[in-house]
Amino acid sequence: MRFSALLFILYQVLKWAAKLKPAYRNYIGSIHSVKIMIKTADGKWGRLFIFDKGAVSSKGGAHHPYDAAIVWSDAATGFRVMASKSDTEQFKAAAAGKMKLDGMAFFAQWFNDGVKLVM
Amino acid sequence: MAMINGGHLVGKYLKEVEKVEIVFGISGGHLESILDGFTEYKIRTIDVRHEQAAAMMAHAWFVYTGKPGVCFLTAGPGFTNGLTGIANAYLDNAPLVVLCGRSPLRDDLKGALQEMNQIEAVRPMTKWAATCYDIKRIPEYLALAFRNATGGRPGPVMIELPPDILNIKVDESLVPMPSKSNPKYSVHPDDANLKAAADIINNAKKPLFLGGSGVGFSGCAGALKQFVEKTGIPFMLLNYGRGELPDDHPLSVMDMGTLSLFFSIGQNDVIIAAGLRFNWLLQFGQIIPPTVKMIRIDIDPNEINRNVEAHVGLVGDVGSVLEQLTPLVAKNDHTEWMNTLKAAGRSLLDFELRTRETVSSPIHPIRMVAQIQKFVGDDAIYIADGGDTQYFGLAGFMSKQKAGVVASAAGLLGCLGTGIPFGMAAKLARPDKKVVVLNGDGSFGFNGMEFDTMVRHNIPVVVVINNDCAWGMIKHSQELSIGKERLQCSELGIRRYEKVVEGLGGHGEYVTKDEEIIPALKRAFASGKPACINVMTDPTVTSPATPLFYQSLKMD
Repeated sequence: MRFSALLFILYQVLKWAAKLKPAYRNYIGSIHSVKIMIKTADGKWGRLFIFDKGAVSSKGGAHHPYDAAIVWSDAATGFRVMASKSDTEQFKAAAAGKMKLDGMAFFAQWFNDGVKLVM
Repeated sequence: MAMINGGHLVGKYLKEVEKVEIVFGISGGHLESILDGFTEYKIRTIDVRHEQAAAMMAHAWFVYTGKPGVCFLTAGPGFTNGLTGIANAYLDNAPLVVLCGRSPLRDDLKGALQEMNQIEAVRPMTKWAATCYDIKRIPEYLALAFRNATGGRPGPVMIELPPDILNIKVDESLVPMPSKSNPKYSVHPDDANLKAAADIINNAKKPLFLGGSGVGFSGCAGALKQFVEKTGIPFMLLNYGRGELPDDHPLSVMDMGTLSLFFSIGQNDVIIAAGLRFNWLLQFGQIIPPTVKMIRIDIDPNEINRNVEAHVGLVGDVGSVLEQLTPLVAKNDHTEWMNTLKAAGRSLLDFELRTRETVSSPIHPIRMVAQIQKFVGDDAIYIADGGDTQYFGLAGFMSKQKAGVVASAAGLLGCLGTGIPFGMAAKLARPDKKVVVLNGDGSFGFNGMEFDTMVRHNIPVVVVINNDCAWGMIKHSQELSIGKERLQCSELGIRRYEKVVEGLGGHGEYVTKDEEIIPALKRAFASGKPACINVMTDPTVTSPATPLFYQSLKMD
């Protein structure tokens, strides 16, 4: 539940940043239709982030088509690592097999780098 | 009194002084006496169908043999056709000796055939370029050319040879050949810097060795092996450094892939970057936080602090520096760190690793690469040429051979079309090895006619076309930037390239299904001919290199 709430808050922050934070607005630029999913491996929790021509929108749920996904082994790990905002924690989670990338891995990295500009 | 003409002097010098066995080019009237010099001195010629291929082959000859490559270009369009290959060698720091014809000096400013200022045109993309005006000085000029090409940081050179000196004769005794023109020497770093580097390495907890083309050009497999095995430092070799130690060496983290390298590079506490430029492909080093201690080794002092400041800079040939550094470093074991890097890499490449093992329809390019690797194995030479195609080749191929996996179009020039010339040079240099070129359908178009060269000279390379019916990287980049509905000049359509190859006398295969890939490879290699396997792949697949390319051109 906390994981789901975190994803929703993240969406609100990114939507706000896309409108009002020049650094983030420049970063996402006018990219056409890139869909990033953040979800748990069991598909129980998830949220889709859609970037399209400078705007950010989102859909709740883990079953939408995506270009890239950040897949957490479980919601608690996802919450802990994402809330830490730490590259090292993300790296450790990947090394422990608790965070995997699906689809176009580069876009997951792109998404993460964008979040760093905002948080 | 034995007389010799200028063209024969060229052949004599190449054979007797530089021990050149093979040269690449296209004939031309301005070069006639040089061509006869090749015959006289038994130098093998590979005559191609476009001069850019000759320059690219000579460039690749160095990559696969360690010896400078020689190409010959006739005056005017022969010269201008060769420029792309020369520029590519320049940006790759490859020693390439270009012998170039010229309109007669006698007819300068009269409107002679192919009269143009070639030297000034080529100067910005060579280390050295000059016209020889005196038949007696031909050996001296050639010695200068080879010395400039190979000395220090290597690069291409061009010598212009007009008919006024090629087509006249001189008493041979008046033109002695110099002794070997290139004295061996090496540059050594300062002792204090070596000691400082060793201290950093000995205290490192999470180190990584990154080797670039300077490692391959140094030919330092022995020194590198001693260094990494003593320090226990995991390593990744990039560009022409790839294969200096085998991809499956116990300390190699090549299998984590470059994408995972980007993700994890900031987690290292020490990076030793040897013969490696932090250019756009490594995002100008901006992915490396300043907390990471950098030790940089480069033969060119200008590279030491370029884009990424070094804590310690060691100027010198990579092999020579490592030989000096190894006695100063402590024996260590970083297995745990290496395993952590590899495990993180596996998680990040999870999708790609699964895709390699999964039958796909339409065929996924990385699945096709995995099938090629499965059949051909790791005792082979792989070359990848294209946009998205080169990513899939670099990520999916593994080799035990020096320069066993090269993305010929991944240099700073991003020179599509290099794959086939590189493949031909690789097969000529190592005829006992299987050579596979993975070509994009776009890049195939630049030098596809060289199948004629392969057939005439019996160079049985297997070219596999990753045919997504598009300039894939450009198309997918346009989809991101201007939208799918406004694609411009980026689509190619279904083309039967293998039939073109059959028409030229090679072997052709057309593949549309996953299960056809390996049987087609079997038939292609069994044919003993130059072969083209045209594989129709999923046109919607985008490689991670595309958004990297897209991002690099985005302006704030």
